[in-house]
Amino acid sequence: MAEALFKIAVSAMSGRRNRLKIFPALTLAVFLLPILVGLLFTWAPAFGYLSAAGSNRFSLEPFATLLHHPSLPGALRSTFISGIGASLMSLGLALWIAATLYGSRLWSTIELSLAPLLSLPHAAFAIGFSFLIAPSGWLIRSVSPFPSGFTYPPDWTTNGDPWAISLTLTMLFKETPFLLLMIFSGLSRLDVRRTIWVGRSLGYHRLRIWTRLIIPQLYPMLRLPLLAVLAYSLSVVDLAYIIGPSLPPTLAVLIDRWFHDPDISSRFVGAAGALLLLLVTLACISSALVLEYLISKIASRKILDGRRKSPFELLVGSGSFYALILLGVNVLSLTALMLWSVAHSWRFPHFFPARFSFSNWSTALSHLLEPVFVSALAAFLSCLLAIILVVGCFENEQNLARSRIDSISQRSLWIIYLPLLIPQISFLFGIQVLLIIFNLEGSWGTLIWIHLVFVLPYVFLTLANTYRSYDQRYSYVGTALGARPLRSFFRVKLIMLTKPILFSMAVGFGVSIAQYLPTLYVGAGRFATITTETVSLASGSDRRVMAVYALSQFLLALTGFLTAIVLPAIMFRNRRAMQN
Amino acid sequence: MAYCPKRLLSIVIVMLTIMLNLAPALARDWPQIIAAARGQTVYFNGWGGSEVINRYISWAAGQVNQRYGITVKHVKVADIGDVVSRILAEKSGGRTSGGSVDLMWINGENFHAMKDNGLLLPPYTQMFPNYRLVDTENKVSTLFDFTVPVDNQESPWGMAQLVFLYDSEVVNDPPSTMAELLEFCKDHKGRFSYPAPPDFYGTTFIKQALLELTGERELLYKPVDIGKFDQVTAPLWVFLDALHPHLWRGGKAQPKSAPEMKRLLADREIFISLSFNPAEASNAIATGELPESIRTYVHEGGTIGNTHFLAIPFNSSAQEGAMVLADFLLSPEAQARKSDPSIWGDPTVLALAKLSPEQRTLFDTISLGVASLSPEELGPVILEPHASWVTAIEKEWLKRYSK
Repeated sequence: MAEALFKIAVSAMSGRRNRLKIFPALTLAVFLLPILVGLLFTWAPAFGYLSAAGSNRFSLEPFATLLHHPSLPGALRSTFISGIGASLMSLGLALWIAATLYGSRLWSTIELSLAPLLSLPHAAFAIGFSFLIAPSGWLIRSVSPFPSGFTYPPDWTTNGDPWAISLTLTMLFKETPFLLLMIFSGLSRLDVRRTIWVGRSLGYHRLRIWTRLIIPQLYPMLRLPLLAVLAYSLSVVDLAYIIGPSLPPTLAVLIDRWFHDPDISSRFVGAAGALLLLLVTLACISSALVLEYLISKIASRKILDGRRKSPFELLVGSGSFYALILLGVNVLSLTALMLWSVAHSWRFPHFFPARFSFSNWSTALSHLLEPVFVSALAAFLSCLLAIILVVGCFENEQNLARSRIDSISQRSLWIIYLPLLIPQISFLFGIQVLLIIFNLEGSWGTLIWIHLVFVLPYVFLTLANTYRSYDQRYSYVGTALGARPLRSFFRVKLIMLTKPILFSMAVGFGVSIAQYLPTLYVGAGRFATITTETVSLASGSDRRVMAVYALSQFLLALTGFLTAIVLPAIMFRNRRAMQN
Repeated sequence: MAYCPKRLLSIVIVMLTIMLNLAPALARDWPQIIAAARGQTVYFNGWGGSEVINRYISWAAGQVNQRYGITVKHVKVADIGDVVSRILAEKSGGRTSGGSVDLMWINGENFHAMKDNGLLLPPYTQMFPNYRLVDTENKVSTLFDFTVPVDNQESPWGMAQLVFLYDSEVVNDPPSTMAELLEFCKDHKGRFSYPAPPDFYGTTFIKQALLELTGERELLYKPVDIGKFDQVTAPLWVFLDALHPHLWRGGKAQPKSAPEMKRLLADREIFISLSFNPAEASNAIATGELPESIRTYVHEGGTIGNTHFLAIPFNSSAQEGAMVLADFLLSPEAQARKSDPSIWGDPTVLALAKLSPEQRTLFDTISLGVASLSPEELGPVILEPHASWVTAIEKEWLKRYSK
């Protein structure tokens, strides 16, 4: 590893010929070192080292305690069910919707609703969804007291069930829009319309065209997003706390609890747990890759069998049903939050609040200004840095491809996905210690850097397909007309790519706004963001105030997306070819 | 925890080093501390889950800014354990001054852990002008936080006593013992639960049950005797085994916190909930969070009570400012405002008898609130058992019910 780093550094410094080389090297420096050191510092207590607690002797006892913990088997079961279940189901749902609805009006509706769907923060959705499905929730209220006969909520186990089904569903509804976004961006690189046309003319049924022709080309672009969803679902804390099982909770919640247990010796078990969660995640990722390999082996043998029809043709109609459920659940959860934010009292079995009040908003408004400002600034700056680094990396990539050079730093770029694939909790404690040693915590610089660590991979992921499919000939024309390469880059390429660039920045903006643990761990309490305020209020009881903060979080993220949509529309109002 | 001379020695050394470092600050008298505090920024870290409490703190911040020129930043956290972790990380990183936390809201096990690991400033509350008004004689928990001596290392802030909230619309005759609570649950299946330990409130409910049910209460105030653990706790497990099938959702899921219980009570999913604030029901009715029909009750023979405190970490960068803020929060004016159920309703730590007549009128004018019990109705306060029992009981509970 050290050797690789050295080579990256050398290749970056000796880059006379090509200054672009600095970008991948810089990008890696932002990520690799801190995460590796963070991991090591977090693991130290798992092996008995925690100097503040006066312990510095090697010991495997934390692992023994962890493995004998009565809650571990149950916690692992819930983690596996929700993590694997949610990722496979959301991939299946996203692909099914794409295959059955591509080209329909509903498909365009979905495309339009992606921005608000992605803006709705996970925790806010979970609060709304939980209110939807609870025995005292909106669905049951809609039939109570008539015709259900319930004057009091039934004692059913819906939200927070011990089998983690409600948690799995929450993540399914929240991750599917993200995978759909990735499908949209992936399809933009494939010539889908003509593929379908060719398939049709050869007599292939719709589903066959997708499984035989499109998905094999599309999947490589979905692999990383899927693995990110898998890693996220296995290690999510806030959703599992809001709607996950309680006896016992998931492994991630157990670890989180150990890390802030009053008994400081729990940090040892917590660190061991963080290592275990990382191993679980890595094992699941490897299994997913093996599974993918097996499926592609089997499928590639079948791909030429010439079958035109599929037994699942009859189910094609279900695609719009699932898509409507996906949209409906999100709309209802959001509506429930809006109603709560203006409710004074709203008890079972009332379908609407018994009394309305705007005081929830008016009292919160003065407290909202600072957190909204801090969130917006941190999100904007981290997005800006991210986009500069990402565009630099892509340019370098295309440069190298032109000159057919194989560069180690370019090949190592997969490392930027590490923050998506490694559970946050397994390296943040270590990063905190590291920053404290160097006296760097609690400053704007470190806050933006830690946000950048999580923003950059998403910006990279959302921009990659469109950026790589840009037709370089436009730039060549610019150069041929006498512009210097840099001028042609800024005046032609960047302008033509404005829309996807702004959209990927909006995704990054939303990611930055949602960061809770990273802000908490490196912020030293100096930065109150809209998310830290929302999470601390979510530990309380007042759903009305929670709704106000969650909606503010949603509106801020939505502003980012709206800017990304409206700005190009204004910029290109006189350029018809740029309208679409 | 076994007594380990080496460990003890290292703690003593750390404490001595800290004391020597801070000696100049501590030698000063109160006017000097006030002078030094001017212009400081105090980062007050505390649980931020309640708008009512957040608003009260923001009022106090305005007051100390006006009077003493101190800027208070309220750092709202979901769990104070995160803050303990941060201070621990600061100590691991060798940060003995210039720490990020100046004052924190804390008690019980967190205080115990911080005191044990040398994360607190050496004794200082004895210097506070308002500290002499604290009712240390009758409110023993202001001196012993979960049986651990406070030793002036945290400043009393408010009193807490376990109370039960019930919906009088459906419950006419609330239970007054654990046995009656079990009967209630059998009659109203699924209408009561308690938060799953290690949640603070869940653990308190279990301690309350143990104190009521065991025949050997005095043993609970000594460090846990593993040999007698089974014998002392046997009645508790019999009770819980009988109770669990009748809990909310058949005991297969439990609420994760007391705030979640409060929501369930408002949603009519459960009929009885619990709280540590005797005025919580009145306050929540005033804000519309709970309906008018909610009332409060306690068990015969008393319920567990304790005190919550404000503590200054060993490496605070604004110690003087933190002290002035903590002292202000202890003043009759701030304490009276805090105990008003329409503002927060957190009971005072002060002895009314020690106040001047004018100061006492501040308290006399406060109305108790529609759903609160009078001090007589609240009954005696039972002290928290020794902290070592809590760890042992939690462990056994997890083994039995959280598999």
